[in-house]
Amino acid sequence: MPSSSPAALDILNLKKCFGKPAVNDLSLTVRDGEFYALLGPNGAGKTTTLRMVAGLLEADAGSVKVCGIDAFSDPIAAKHVLAWVPDEPMVYDKLTPLEYLEFVAGLWSMEPDLARFRADTLLDSFGLASHSNERCGGFSKGMRQKVALAGALIHEPRLIILDEPLTGLDAGSARQVKKVLSGLVAQGVSIVMTTHILEVAERMADRIGIIARGQLVAEGTLEELRERASADGNSLEDIFLKIVGGGSEGGAQTGKADYPDEKVA
Amino acid sequence: MSALAAHSALMRFSRHELRLAWRDWAWMFSGWRNTSLRRALIGMGMFYAIMHLIAYAVLSPYFATGIMLDQTTQAMLSVTVLLSFTMMLSQAMESVTRAFYARDDLDLILSSPAPSRDLFLVRIVMMALTSWVMSALVMSPFLNVAVVLGGQHWLAGYVVLLSVSLSATGAGVLITLALFRTVGAQRTRLTAQILAAIVGAAFLIGMQVVAILSFGSISRFTLFDPAFLANHAPSAGSPWWFPAHAVAGQTNAVILIFAASVLFFAMGAWLGAVQFRRIVVLALGVTEKTTRGRASERAFRSYSPFGALVHKELSLIFRDPWLVSQTLMQVLYLIPPAVMLWVSFGENTEISVIIAPVIVMAVGQLAGGLAWLTISGEDAPDLIATAPISLFTRLWAKVLSVLTLIATILLPIALCLALISLWGAVVTFAGAMIAAASAILVQLWFRSQAERTTFRRRQVASKASTLAEAGASISCAAGTALIAAGSPLALLPVVLLLIVLGISRSIRPRHDAKI
Repeated sequence: MPSSSPAALDILNLKKCFGKPAVNDLSLTVRDGEFYALLGPNGAGKTTTLRMVAGLLEADAGSVKVCGIDAFSDPIAAKHVLAWVPDEPMVYDKLTPLEYLEFVAGLWSMEPDLARFRADTLLDSFGLASHSNERCGGFSKGMRQKVALAGALIHEPRLIILDEPLTGLDAGSARQVKKVLSGLVAQGVSIVMTTHILEVAERMADRIGIIARGQLVAEGTLEELRERASADGNSLEDIFLKIVGGGSEGGAQTGKADYPDEKVA
Repeated sequence: MSALAAHSALMRFSRHELRLAWRDWAWMFSGWRNTSLRRALIGMGMFYAIMHLIAYAVLSPYFATGIMLDQTTQAMLSVTVLLSFTMMLSQAMESVTRAFYARDDLDLILSSPAPSRDLFLVRIVMMALTSWVMSALVMSPFLNVAVVLGGQHWLAGYVVLLSVSLSATGAGVLITLALFRTVGAQRTRLTAQILAAIVGAAFLIGMQVVAILSFGSISRFTLFDPAFLANHAPSAGSPWWFPAHAVAGQTNAVILIFAASVLFFAMGAWLGAVQFRRIVVLALGVTEKTTRGRASERAFRSYSPFGALVHKELSLIFRDPWLVSQTLMQVLYLIPPAVMLWVSFGENTEISVIIAPVIVMAVGQLAGGLAWLTISGEDAPDLIATAPISLFTRLWAKVLSVLTLIATILLPIALCLALISLWGAVVTFAGAMIAAASAILVQLWFRSQAERTTFRRRQVASKASTLAEAGASISCAAGTALIAAGSPLALLPVVLLLIVLGISRSIRPRHDAKI
């Protein structure tokens, strides 16, 4: 039965050029309460797309709606319901996780008691409770990533955008993060995640989108992608390689970044 | 066979370091941009030619009457050599500390079978040579003019500069090694930075303080008054003036100073080289100290987004040890005006005319550094940019944080000044705040995302912003002094300030609206 609530993310004809088109007329929809995995070779345009959604990059054309809010005409309202977690954890070395979360709660104008409760719960979920009063400067990359993730979740966003969130995490930490993310989806939160760990997308995502050369070349559930790729019973890795042509760095068959994303540019 | 391998490693490291040094220089001379190196070199050549003209204007009156190596000349030359030494020592301490702590390629080199001792030797030689080349670039117009006007014996100045570079680099290594031994790897970096700041400024400031106490003048050149020297300084034949004899080309003095410097440098370089691996391993093991705060059970404070940003900026600034050394450097320069204020208390109500420009300059520079840290040195730019706040709120919170700090530092100084001259205090406070606001504006216009740890390179990353910041501070300082003196000429620096800010605004880089 179709949901009456607006889509968590609605991207329409999005374009961005860095000399060459990095995102080329891309449209996709993420439903409310859905875990959506965005896959693609390096330089395919995944990060550029998500940075435009998060308001970190201006689009050349197209539109983005976050939970029904036009992210380009009313960015502040859109940011209230959105959280962005980049691949490189960005936390302040001189702040403790608790101070960091207090700062983030202030940015989102959260009620202090609720913020404190959420902070304690999140730090506990990520196994950081015993480090909550230590400065982040001495933390490993995995711990910093978990602090950043806690910061993204503290204001209870309705749409969470994660760019390679499991990079640098050990097996235990990755499991903690996956558990938290699964719990959020169960509560109705929508998640868009890019990852190169195809097994994670295979196991966690409700739907998978594959980007190559700045365009969405395939989308659907794992079964739908299997059917499309005529790869019965094969893993997502086989399907992915079949769809993108086994190439890497940008797109099918070229073997180079024809459509560099922002980082490459 | 082993000697051959060692020789080969040394050669490889030398080539590697030379290539890196050349690319760094080429990049620096092209203004850290992809502009033509040839165009940058032409610009530098023109600047170098102008420096020769200035040197000629300064030195020709002395040489016209036939320069005498009397007590005054000996004192001036020796003090210049000593001053160069303190500056180079300060630079050397920074460089040596960086060689031990900067990760860069050390993981690769230490894990390779190549002898790391050789790497340190090559790097330390490069440090001394770079220091020599840089100082020679600054001093060479004067030395060249002296050679043309006074004779070839002034070429010895280059040898003295090389000797000073070698001694300063050797001393830098020895001091850093001593710091590792006494305060440990965890604290050496910060201690070395603070010491370098003090060493770099102490000699100049010391001379200024002596000049104030002896003559009531803030100019350190008053110390070279012949009558004062005759009574207070060693006589012309004293060994204290040995460096002056070397600069003037006396063969024995040149040989002695050069030989002693080479020996001193070799000792420092060797001691550093044999301990290099051990110290680097210690330094690389140093992570951010785990500072455990109180187990906090308190509720979060109720912040508005604006309040949260200001609180965060102030917390980060107060917890930044690098900033402590930089602030200390600025505060050190405020010592002479403070002494001047103390000496003149109750006697000279026009004292603000003398000290106001110093305070305004120091505050302008400090504000520039703080503004860079808060505006460009944002370590979590994505978090701030995705927060539901406007760009104006973000920037205004950062600006207000800097202005609050500057006002806090400035207020006690202005209050002390008010005890002598209320008008002077008001003008100085206003001038300093305008200088701070101008520096902040420049930093806003030229903002570019960077990590706080790259603070050291901020002044070289954008020559335009550095020049604009300096121009604005100088204009504010001159304007403040002239207004304090009640001169109508104060309009000129005010107009200059507006021109500087206008040009800066017009050439500011285009910013992505999201940053």
